Amino acid sequence: MMNIIMATNNSFLPKSSDMYELIESFLQAPTYHLIFEALLIIWIFKLIFFSTEYRPESVLTEKEKAELIEEWQPDPLVPDVDENHPLLQAMEKNIISGKPDKYVMINDKSSLNMATLNFLGMAGNAEVESAAIKTLKQYGVGSKPDKYVMINDKSSLNMATLNFLGMAGNAEVESAAIKTLKQYGVGSCGPRGFYGTMDVHLELEEKFAKFMYCEEAALYSYGFATIASAIPAYSKRGDVIFVDEGVCFSIQKGLVASRSSIKWFKHNDMEDLERLLLVQQDEDRKNPKKAKVTRRFLVVEGLYFNHGDICPLPKIVELKWKYKLRLFVEESFSFGVLGANGRGITEHYNISVDEVDLIAASLENSIGSTGGFCCGKKYVIDHQRLSGLGYCFSASLPPMLATAAIEALNIIQNDSNILSKLRENCRKMYDGLSMISGVQVMGDPLAPIKHVRLSEISDNRELDMKTLQRIADQAMENGIAIVLARYLEKEEHKLPPPSIRISICFMIELQTMNKK
Amino acid sequence: MNIGTATSEENPTHVYFGTRGFWITYTIIVLFCHFLLLSMPFFSTALAWTVTCVFHSAFTYIMLHNTKGTPFGTPEQGKARTQTTWEQIDCGQQFTPTRKFLTIVPIVLFFLASFYTKYDTVHFIFNLGALGLGVIPKLPQLHGVRIFGINKWYF
Repeated sequence: MMNIIMATNNSFLPKSSDMYELIESFLQAPTYHLIFEALLIIWIFKLIFFSTEYRPESVLTEKEKAELIEEWQPDPLVPDVDENHPLLQAMEKNIISGKPDKYVMINDKSSLNMATLNFLGMAGNAEVESAAIKTLKQYGVGSKPDKYVMINDKSSLNMATLNFLGMAGNAEVESAAIKTLKQYGVGSCGPRGFYGTMDVHLELEEKFAKFMYCEEAALYSYGFATIASAIPAYSKRGDVIFVDEGVCFSIQKGLVASRSSIKWFKHNDMEDLERLLLVQQDEDRKNPKKAKVTRRFLVVEGLYFNHGDICPLPKIVELKWKYKLRLFVEESFSFGVLGANGRGITEHYNISVDEVDLIAASLENSIGSTGGFCCGKKYVIDHQRLSGLGYCFSASLPPMLATAAIEALNIIQNDSNILSKLRENCRKMYDGLSMISGVQVMGDPLAPIKHVRLSEISDNRELDMKTLQRIADQAMENGIAIVLARYLEKEEHKLPPPSIRISICFMIELQTMNKK
Repeated sequence: MNIGTATSEENPTHVYFGTRGFWITYTIIVLFCHFLLLSMPFFSTALAWTVTCVFHSAFTYIMLHNTKGTPFGTPEQGKARTQTTWEQIDCGQQFTPTRKFLTIVPIVLFFLASFYTKYDTVHFIFNLGALGLGVIPKLPQLHGVRIFGINKWYF
């Protein structure tokens, strides 16, 4: 037995491992090995004592750092604003005057409410309620005044607010809102997922879904946040978004929040879009593994807020199927305006809603309430109920504004006269404005937003703004309230040229138009 | 290191190799595995050391130089998915104490293995291979380099 073990040991292993033999073998070690170990020891010493930390990307030396610190000038927390700043002046000149409780019902069972964030009971407080009703009666639901507006105690024709269908001053909408206010109180005191969902929210979602012929709709409590949350809910780092250069600010913020790579194509230029798509297709062919996990989105506006024109949806849908894109259409300004029944851009072009993957719209324009909604297929929209940041982490829409939106939608559905009147007004306004020399009207004749630009745009933006402001002031004196389109100039991706933005309401009789 | 909270690290892989007790835990695990091998019947001291050395290099190669991305559910949306674990340590900073420690461990194991194998040529070849596998990918010159596209991120 012993012999067998000895034999196995002999055949492929050094026999013993006692310390004496080990040291002996170290002394007899081959020279190449000793040299190799010596080199390794030198390397370890160098590593420990002489290698200093550095970052491969950063190339700044201490001296350069010191210089940078020296050069740095702190910015004031609040920058000095010129007293003649147009925004400040506008705020001074254009001031408008004029016009859940302790117990909560859950599944028809009264339970003590310890879930909503109504710490002081303000949401059911009678005084708060009566103050809200007073304001509601004075200003209407969406803080957007009527056909005529009192500016500095002077009545002017309102062509500045985006109240296309006159819903903000509508008596029926108002009484519906007051009725809900008395029933539910002022606020909802919680996000949708945390006791903020009320039956009126669900009713509104269902109504929108039905109206738009979609499977489902998700309701947001703020119009700006609707598309700005919807885009990053789907598009993540590594994805590609193709987007029109003329999109409005909320879309731009959504793109930033998505962290995807953004490909801008020229405004309404389908050839430029196709060129970018072909470049992408080439890249995908070179790297099929990457292409397999990259989602490609296409984001357009139905009616461009910054330009007043309509997107060529049939061509976009064609490209969408050809290049396998996911199409998002922002309809804040086309919903309730375009199409025979106000269903927006899809109805305008007679395209099925199923061709578009997601439609987002704000309720703050033609509906005259607050908030927004996204609609589309059930599996697409449901994703937002956990991933739409504006949906998950904002208190839900105040119930009275939800009923106001329901009422407004009922009016649109029952009275098609409003839409045809609006369209007629838009066309007339377009014709009237195009006759004026020295300015040009941008956009589509059907659009209720008209951007009036100077025919000859100078290099000096401020000068053009001043000229346009003078026109606006003149109009104000003649009893027409119009404003310049204002932008956060440093933040916009591509700043549109200066313009006067005229919005058209269906109620306006068009004899006042040529006053300018 | 509270993952998923407002004050959490964006990517914990940046820091956890340098946290308190990491070095001693690492050393204890290596020694424990060595003694486990040594306690195997028919494993001589020499073989146990060579196997320790080779296993250590292979394991650290897989964990540090083959595994990409970060296993934590972080808010950085896969920013680190193209980087190996080694490249993420200390946000890619070179010659930090953590990096020095992780580089020196395979060298020390090589010394020990050479000594206990009595500078046997066959053992030396295996140990040298293990040393190369453990040390060469850690060189700062190879930071972010994918030789012949080995281990390349295609996505």
